[in-house]
Amino acid sequence: MDTTIRLTEEQISRDLYPQKFGIRGKIWVAILVAICLIGAFAYYLQLKEGLVVTHMRDYVSWGIYISNFVFFVAISLVGSLITAIFRLSNVRWSTPLTRIAEIIAVSAIVFASIIIVVDMGRPERFLNLLLHGRIQSPITWDVIVIGTYFFISLLLLYLPLMPDLRILNRDPQKNPRLLNRLYRFGGSFWKGTKEQFKVSNRAITILCIIIIPVAFCIHTVTSWLFATTYRPGWDSTNFGAYFVSGAFLVGAGGVVVAMYVFRKSYHLEKYITVLHFEKMGRIVVLLALLYLYFNVNEYLVPAFKMKKPEEQHLTQLFAGEFAPIFWFAILIGMIIPIFILIFKKGRKPLPMFIAGVMIVIGAWFKRYLIVTPTLLHPFLPMNDVPQSYKHYFPSWQEWAIAMGSLAGALLIITFFARVYPIIPIQETINEQNEKAEQL
Amino acid sequence: MANDNNVNATSKSRREFIAAGLLAGLVAGCGSHTDPFTPGEDQSVAASGEKVKLLSVDGEVIEVDKAFLKPVPETQHFTNSEERKGIPGKKFVMVIDLSRCKNLKKCQAACDHMHHIPPEQNWIKVYPMKDAAHDASYWQPTTCMHCDNPPCVKVCPVDATFKRQDGIVLIDSDRCIGCRFCMAACPYSTRVFNWGEPDLPEDIAKMDYSCETSIPQKKGTVGKCDFCPDMTRMGMLPHCVSACPNGVFFFGDLNEDSVTNGSETFRFSDLIRDKAGYRLMEDLGTKPSVYYLPPVNRNFPFESGLENEKNDTK
Amino acid sequence: MKRLNNYRITFLLAALLISSAAHSQDSISKQPLLDVVYFSYNNSIPYVQVMARLKQGRKFDPVKGVTLKVYLDSISSSSLMTDKAVTDETGKADAAMPPSLQKEWNASAKHTFIAEASGVKEFEGEKAVTEVTKARLLIDTATVSETKNITATFLALENGKWTPIKDADVKIMIKRLGGNLTVGDEATYTTDSSGTVTAEFKRDSIPGDANGNIVIIAKVEDNDTYGNLSVEKTAKWGAPLTYDSTFNDRSLFGTRDKAPIWLLLMAYLIIGIVWGTLAYLVFQIFKIKKLGRRVV
Repeated sequence: MDTTIRLTEEQISRDLYPQKFGIRGKIWVAILVAICLIGAFAYYLQLKEGLVVTHMRDYVSWGIYISNFVFFVAISLVGSLITAIFRLSNVRWSTPLTRIAEIIAVSAIVFASIIIVVDMGRPERFLNLLLHGRIQSPITWDVIVIGTYFFISLLLLYLPLMPDLRILNRDPQKNPRLLNRLYRFGGSFWKGTKEQFKVSNRAITILCIIIIPVAFCIHTVTSWLFATTYRPGWDSTNFGAYFVSGAFLVGAGGVVVAMYVFRKSYHLEKYITVLHFEKMGRIVVLLALLYLYFNVNEYLVPAFKMKKPEEQHLTQLFAGEFAPIFWFAILIGMIIPIFILIFKKGRKPLPMFIAGVMIVIGAWFKRYLIVTPTLLHPFLPMNDVPQSYKHYFPSWQEWAIAMGSLAGALLIITFFARVYPIIPIQETINEQNEKAEQL
Repeated sequence: MANDNNVNATSKSRREFIAAGLLAGLVAGCGSHTDPFTPGEDQSVAASGEKVKLLSVDGEVIEVDKAFLKPVPETQHFTNSEERKGIPGKKFVMVIDLSRCKNLKKCQAACDHMHHIPPEQNWIKVYPMKDAAHDASYWQPTTCMHCDNPPCVKVCPVDATFKRQDGIVLIDSDRCIGCRFCMAACPYSTRVFNWGEPDLPEDIAKMDYSCETSIPQKKGTVGKCDFCPDMTRMGMLPHCVSACPNGVFFFGDLNEDSVTNGSETFRFSDLIRDKAGYRLMEDLGTKPSVYYLPPVNRNFPFESGLENEKNDTK
Repeated sequence: MKRLNNYRITFLLAALLISSAAHSQDSISKQPLLDVVYFSYNNSIPYVQVMARLKQGRKFDPVKGVTLKVYLDSISSSSLMTDKAVTDETGKADAAMPPSLQKEWNASAKHTFIAEASGVKEFEGEKAVTEVTKARLLIDTATVSETKNITATFLALENGKWTPIKDADVKIMIKRLGGNLTVGDEATYTTDSSGTVTAEFKRDSIPGDANGNIVIIAKVEDNDTYGNLSVEKTAKWGAPLTYDSTFNDRSLFGTRDKAPIWLLLMAYLIIGIVWGTLAYLVFQIFKIKKLGRRVV
C-alpha cells in the first residue's frame, strides 16, 4: 500500500513541486485562452449594443448568465466542505485535496462576480451598489457575502501556502525569475519556527470555523434571489437547503474531476491515491443522495397540490418542453452517479472521473432549469409582445460569454497549479513524519 | 379715441403681449392658488413678483403675478429628491371597468406615444383572460399596480425604484444598474427592459431624465407605467385614462374618495361597493392600487376585441 | 307611377349623396378645424381658447405649433388681443385680454372673437369666429334645517343691466382631481325665471381638506350665447381629511435610510462579527511576519 512506503522529504518536495506545462498542458491552455478571447469579444459587442445581443427579453429576463452565476456560487462551496469541514474533523486523508478545493472555490467566486457584472444592464454603475446600496435587498446581501467569502477563501488559500512558499524559495534557480518574485512576495518571512506554526495553525482553525457559516450563507442568500419572489418554481421555503445541498454535490464532483486530472497530468499517484478516490466516492454518494432527497421535496410536494401557477410549470418540467433537460439533469446529474459510486468497483479513479463529469454537467443544466422555465410561466399570460419574447434559447454571444467564464475559471485553476504546488508540500511532509512517529 | 388706444397699445411694454401669449390656461393656475386641498403648494409655484396686467370681465385692469399663470409644461422642474418624495396628501388609485373594455388598445397607443416607447415595450398590456374553464373570457388592461407592499421596491439593490408618499412607484433611470431583479419579483409582469438603445428622436434623447415623465428611456434600465405624475400635477388625467373612448379607466385620489374617467366621476367607495371592485392577485399581499370592476353586463362581446389582437411574427 | 318614380329618383340621389359624403370622409384628405371658445373663470379674467385640429375621416388630431392672431370684434391692429399665441401638443392656445382693449371691451355687452391662424401649412389663412354676450355666474351655499343647498344665479349683461337668464343649463359639482363629482343625483340643473338653480348637497362625509373644506363649482358649459363660465366657492361640508402615510415608516420597501431596525441589527451584527474575526486574522498574518523577522 502506498501509505507504508515512506517517502523522503526531498522526494515529496520534488514530486509536488510545480511543473512546467508539457505539450498537452500547452494545448489545454491555448484552447482555454481562445475560448476566453471569444467570450471577451462577445462581451465587447454586448457593451457596445447592450443586452439586446442576448436572447433575453422581457419575460425571460434572466438567462444563462444568471444560471452560470448560480453554478459558480454552488461550486465555490467546495472550499468550505473539503478544506474546512474535513480539517476541523481531523480527516487526515483530505490533506492533498485541500488546496485543489480552495483554488476551485476562489476561481469560482471570482467568475461568479465577473458573470454577474456581465449580466448587468449598466455595469459602469456598479459603484451604485456601494453608494446607494439598500440593506433590504437580497442582492445587497449577496454582494456582502460573496465579498466576504472571497476574502476568507483567499486567506484560507494563503495561510497554508506560506510553509510551501519557503520550500519554493529555497532554490531560486529552479524557478523562472517572475515566479521567484511572486514566491518572495508572500512567503519570505516564513521561517517555520514553532511560534509561527502555532499562530498559523490557530488562524487556520479560526478560518475553518468561520468559513462554514459564511459558505452556508452565500448559497442560501443566492437562493433567496429566487425564493423572495412569488413565481412558481421559486416560491419555495425549501430553497436554501436545496441549493446548499446541490452546491456540496457539484463541488465534490468538481474536486473529483480535478483530482483525476491532476493525478494524471502531474503523476501524483502516490499522493492522490486510490484510497482518496474510494473515500471521496463515498462522500459523493452521500451528497448525491442528500441532493436527491431535497429534489424530491422540491418537486413532489407542489406536484401533489398542482396549484394553478405551478401546474403549468411542473407539467412542462416533467412531461413538456423542458422534460428532456429535466430528466437529463436528474439522471446524469444524480441517479446514474449514485449507481456508479455505490459499488466499490465504481469508486476507482476512472469511473469516478466519469461520474464527476456527469455530476458537473448535470448540475449546470439543473441550474438552467431553476432559472429559465419559471420565467416562461408568469402569472398573467404572455401577451402584447413579439413572438420572440415567448421563447428562450441563448444567442451565440451568450454562449460565448458563458463558456468564456467557465474557461476562465479553469484557466485560473490551471495557472495556479503551474505557479504553486497543487498539493501542500509541507503538510504532506508533516503528515508523513507524524505517521512514522505513530508506527 | 382709436388713436389713443393705438398709442397705448404700442407704448405698453412688449412683455404684456408676450405674457398674454404665454397664457396656457388660467384655470389651473388660479385654481391651485385658491385650492384648499393642497396643504403646501403642490404646484410649488412661488410668487415671482413680476406682475402682468389683464382685463377682467367687468372691464377693470387686474394685476396677476406672472408665476401663478399655469406654467408651460417644459418649465416645470423638480429635483430628484422632490420627485422621490412625491405629492403630499394624495394617494392615487385607478379603477378599471372590465365590462367596458373592447380591446381597442387606445390606452396602449396613447401611453406608447406620449412616453416614446416602442410597441414591443407596451407598459399597458391588454390580456385576454379566462379564469376558470367554464368562465367567460374578458379583456383585462393591466398597468403597473403601484402596490402598497411593492415586491419590486423591496428587492432593488440601489434604490432605483422607489415608492412615494402619493403611492406612486417610480423608476430612476439614472440610478438603475440593470440587474432586473425587480422584473423577476413583479408578479404582474408589468416591467419592461431597454435591452438596446431606445429609438428616440434626438431632442427627446438629449433631455435630462425626469422620474415623473419617465422620459427619455435609457439603454440597460427598466421601465414601467408611472401613473403619469406629470399630468396629475397639472390637474390632468393620465394619458391612458383620457385616451380610452369607452371610459374604461377611472383615476383619482383615494384621499378625495373620487375617481373619474374624464367624463364621468364617481365616489370611489360607492363605485367599489356597488360594482364589487377587486384587486388582482389579492392573496399575494402586494396591496395594489388598481381596482377592477368585474365584467358584468358587458358593453361588448369578448369576440369583438379579437380583431385587434396582433399576431406577431417577429 | 310618377310619384313612385320621383321617390325612386330622390332615393337614388340621396343614396349617391350619402355615399359620396361617406367616401369623402374615408378619403385621406385632412381638414383643418379651428375652434374659438370663450371662458370666464370666477367672474374675473375672461379668455378665449383656440383649438387647432386636423380631421381625417373620423379621427381628430391636435396640431401643435399653429401661430394665432386673436382679435376683439374686428380684425385690426388696434383690436389685437395677442399675436403670440401658439398651440401646444394638445392643439390648444389661450389668449386673454390686455388692458389696452379696455375701452372696446367695456363699450358693449356683445363681442366677437376672431382667430387667424398661420405657421402650419394646412392652417395658413384659416379663420375662426365666436360671438359672446357678457354674462356672470354667481354661487352661494346655505344650510337650511339640516339640508345643505347650493344656489347658482346666471345673469347676462343687457343694456347695462344684469338680467337673469332663463332655461339655461348649469352644472353644480364638487371639485375633485381630474374631474368633478356631482353634488347629488343630477349633474345639470336648469335655471328658472329668476335665473337661479338650487341643488341639494347629498354627498355626506365626502373627504375635504384637513379642515373639512371642499370646493363647490358651478359651471355653464359650451353655451351658444355666453360661452363657458365657472365660479367656485369653498364650503366646510366635507369630512376632515386624515390620512396615514407609510412613507416615513421603516419598512422592507423603504429607502435605504428607512430599513427596519431588526434587519439593520441582524445584518451589522453578523458583518461585524465575521469581519472583526477576519481583521484579527489579518493581524495574525502580520504577527507571523514579525515573528519571522526575529529569527535571522
